[in-house]
Amino acid sequence: MYNFDITRPTTVDEAVAALSADEAQPLSGGQTLIPTLKQRLAMPSVLVSLTAIDEMKGITEGPGTLKVGGGTTHGDVAQATKGSFAGLHTLASKIGDPAVRARGTIGGSVANNDPAACYPSACMACAATIHTNTRDIAADDFFQGMFTTALDEGEIVTAVTLKVPEKSSYQKFEQPASRFPLVGVFVAKHADGVRVGVTGASNNGVFRWAEAEEALSSNFSPDAIEGLSVSAEDLMGDLHGSPEYRAHLIKVMTKRGVADAS
Amino acid sequence: MSVGKPLPHDAAHLHVTGAARYVDDIPAPANALSLAFGLSHVAAGTITAMDLSAVRAAPGVVAVLTAEDLPFDNDVSPSNHDEPLLATGEVHYMGQPVFMVVADSHLNARKAARLGRVEIDPRGPILSIESAMEADSRFEDGPRIWTKGDVGQALQDAPRRLQGRIEMGGQEHFYLEGHAALALPQEGGDMVVHSSTQHPTEIQHKVAEALGVPMNAVRVEVRRMGGGFGGKESQGNALAVACAVAARATGRPCRMRYDRDDDMVITGKRHDFRIDYDVGYDDTGRVLAVDFTQMTRCGWAMDLSLPVADRAMLHADNAYLLDAVRITSHRLKTNTQSATAYRGFGGPQGVLGIERVMDEVAHALGMDAADVRRRNYYRAMGDVAGGPAPRPADSPRSFPTEMKEGDIASRGSQAFDDDRAEVGVASENTTPYGMKVADFILHEMTDALLERCDYFARRDAIAQWNAENGLLKRGIAFSPVKFGISFTLTHLNQAGALVHVYQDGSVHMNHGGTEMGQGLFQKVAQVAASRFGIGVDRVKITATDTGKVPNTSATAASSGSDLNGMAVQAACDTIRDRIAACLAELHQCSAEDVRFADGRVRVGGEDMSFTRAVQTAYENRVSLSATGFYKTPDLAWDRIKGQGRPFFYFAQGAAVTEVVIDTLTGENRILRTDILHDAGASLNPGLDIGQVEGGYVQGAGWLTTEELVWDDKGRLTTHAPSTYKIPACSDRPGVFNVDLWDQPNPAQTVYRSKAVGEPPFMLGISAHLALSDACAACGPAYPDLQAPATAEEVLRAVTRARG
Repeated sequence: MYNFDITRPTTVDEAVAALSADEAQPLSGGQTLIPTLKQRLAMPSVLVSLTAIDEMKGITEGPGTLKVGGGTTHGDVAQATKGSFAGLHTLASKIGDPAVRARGTIGGSVANNDPAACYPSACMACAATIHTNTRDIAADDFFQGMFTTALDEGEIVTAVTLKVPEKSSYQKFEQPASRFPLVGVFVAKHADGVRVGVTGASNNGVFRWAEAEEALSSNFSPDAIEGLSVSAEDLMGDLHGSPEYRAHLIKVMTKRGVADAS
Repeated sequence: MSVGKPLPHDAAHLHVTGAARYVDDIPAPANALSLAFGLSHVAAGTITAMDLSAVRAAPGVVAVLTAEDLPFDNDVSPSNHDEPLLATGEVHYMGQPVFMVVADSHLNARKAARLGRVEIDPRGPILSIESAMEADSRFEDGPRIWTKGDVGQALQDAPRRLQGRIEMGGQEHFYLEGHAALALPQEGGDMVVHSSTQHPTEIQHKVAEALGVPMNAVRVEVRRMGGGFGGKESQGNALAVACAVAARATGRPCRMRYDRDDDMVITGKRHDFRIDYDVGYDDTGRVLAVDFTQMTRCGWAMDLSLPVADRAMLHADNAYLLDAVRITSHRLKTNTQSATAYRGFGGPQGVLGIERVMDEVAHALGMDAADVRRRNYYRAMGDVAGGPAPRPADSPRSFPTEMKEGDIASRGSQAFDDDRAEVGVASENTTPYGMKVADFILHEMTDALLERCDYFARRDAIAQWNAENGLLKRGIAFSPVKFGISFTLTHLNQAGALVHVYQDGSVHMNHGGTEMGQGLFQKVAQVAASRFGIGVDRVKITATDTGKVPNTSATAASSGSDLNGMAVQAACDTIRDRIAACLAELHQCSAEDVRFADGRVRVGGEDMSFTRAVQTAYENRVSLSATGFYKTPDLAWDRIKGQGRPFFYFAQGAAVTEVVIDTLTGENRILRTDILHDAGASLNPGLDIGQVEGGYVQGAGWLTTEELVWDDKGRLTTHAPSTYKIPACSDRPGVFNVDLWDQPNPAQTVYRSKAVGEPPFMLGISAHLALSDACAACGPAYPDLQAPATAEEVLRAVTRARG
């Protein structure tokens, strides 16, 4: 780790101000950033901790929506969604291990946009709105590729509002050693159609499987996508699985998700 | 008598409370230094420039050494003098140590090591079996070939024939305690070394060479390892030698431990193999001829690869009597870590080859695979005529006139061939290498196991279940193991012990074996206690020490209890007989009538405590200290011809595993495992069952989730637990029934027990075969499941089975 200063503002405004410093970087739960710092892969001058900002924490139910503060931990999301939002509950309660879930936050996860992170798939499938200190961004516009988002320099994810689906399921095929998704699929059936978010699989990060969404919107059953297939082109191939295997798993996980949600 | 009791591991309490002291826990003097290696970042090439100024200038750095700074031998090979401690001009794999840093702390040494600038002119590395074969990059001048019968003719004449190939990956040892060493310089240039090693004499020998001193100037101590699995038979040399050299250079104690990633990147692993087979068989499932071609990547240095590859050949038969067989073995030199010993030492790879043949033959005939296996078994012990085994002559016909450079206490030794081997060839029930199998008990064991686990009924129920279920398929498979016990380098089959009895009747026990968690010390202590007729609590188990027992063999080849138990028994008996003689004289009776049992000694009409007996002996000036020595009898082996009697006996076992696979993803689980394992008359059934359970799970891990991946530059990409998956507690079978056969060993071993370290590893093969069986339920074709059977590979096999 290189040396850095740390500051712990208590409001979003203070945090934004602190982030205007040269080489300042926001720190949320630190489950990705701290190991990165340890590896000396980042050299911030100042870390702006977001964990003391109360206005960024907590979960509020709206009409058909769930607003999750950017600083809310996975553990808190898992707790709050138990019995009410199956897909999100499964997703949050299976991220990492208890230590990770006690520290890691939804804001950190979506802002980082790791291609194998779980949350982005839920955001895509639940037509989420990403709230920042300056604007609201639709999930479809927010995630722009591996580790790339629409966020500007110094912009903070303050909350994420998800549309609560009628039915949902998150299916994660775990890479056995790390338990990151080799493929993770979030299936959400909304009143106005079905959305399918896929993570872990693509070289371009999270994406929606449009053909499946269309087929499932008219017939929400695993059979509806029987004839579909995912192209392995542009999917990740690495030591844990080939692009073809990932393509195959996307369909299997989607069907599982539909079966589970139905 | 304590022998035969399921006593817990002697250090179990210390393990679970954290009080057990491992090498890196030993308090070092305040001025101790720490070491780290700077590693090669390319797999093959020539070092053109090295700038270590930043390393030298880094905080806490006391010294930086390269090959040129080493005072004497720059070699840590256990075999061929082809393994420099620090690279000399050429680098041969990614991760090879190039320089070493000596600093005031572990962290400072590691940080500084990263600052080295080593320029290397890269060469195209040889990474694959194909490229090694093409370049004829190999150890030895050509393949080793052993034959029995006329294979070509038998293949031609066979009514049925099939060919195939199985690839099997290597395996990271993943001992919980990584490699570690501590060197403490003594007066007059002597050195004391603590090392996490299975082979203290090897460490002593390599350190002495590196310091330019005789072996008597180096003392090596090993209290325990946190796991070895073969990974600490030769791979600890580098750390111990580095520490000793640095300690000599600085005059200060030096310690070194590998970070987990470094450990995985630097040290050798299990040999991966490709085995091609051409099989002739008949309609009854009898295998008439097999032609095996075994190819293995040995990595960049010879290490122990020759005996490993030999043992793969020696187990190409497993439990089956093959009348016509040829085994061709290619030992390929590649720019990867130098593959090394790993539980089974090539045996598992050889066994998987023939088990695969049985599996495919059974599939081709539509027969039950367990039946096919039984049809091909060696004849049972009772059905084989006795008769003399080939024996060695009394003494060598010729002695080497000049000692070749070599490492005679290592399994890698080729210093001289043992020309005592009057290698006779037995004529019936013989292995491919001409050894009569006279102790085969797998017929009875198989019958008992299949009945105990209700194999045939469950097999039918599984077939029924599979017919009713589309997505999930279950599979069941039986596999036996017959594993040869002895070092194949005959002269290593010896052991020494040192036993003292103190005036208070307490016993101090020492032998050449090392404790790596397997429970060797407890088993041997039970032997000592039984010889004296006292409780095991009166026997002090002490650290392995080259100053107490010299010229030890590695604790390897499953031989720890066999060899050291006998040596300790001999030492104890010497003392006991002296006490008995003394008491007999005092009581005017025969020494044979003196009885040692239950902590008491009975002589004539008198009954006294063991302590009183000891005190009497002491007062009568009887020596209460003795050494013991043992050498395994009846061994004779010519590895070039592939003929003889390399093994004292065979340890056997059998397993049935049931699995379920998801045909959509290839995910799989072991549902149930039943094992019947032959540990002879077990010295300690508790510890032995632990070895069987652990061996099975480790073997199943090798063939399922444990996958080593190198990229096309030769970089090991699976070098941490985040990418390399060993079985966890939750991966063990849901139902796991392990029983010991518990019949005395016909060979005269210590209390008629059998070696138990390695053989059960091969029972894990039944998990792979069960997965194959489940895949075969998906279609008409043979699934041709490769290893490791990761989820993706299982899915591929499902696809192949569908045809």
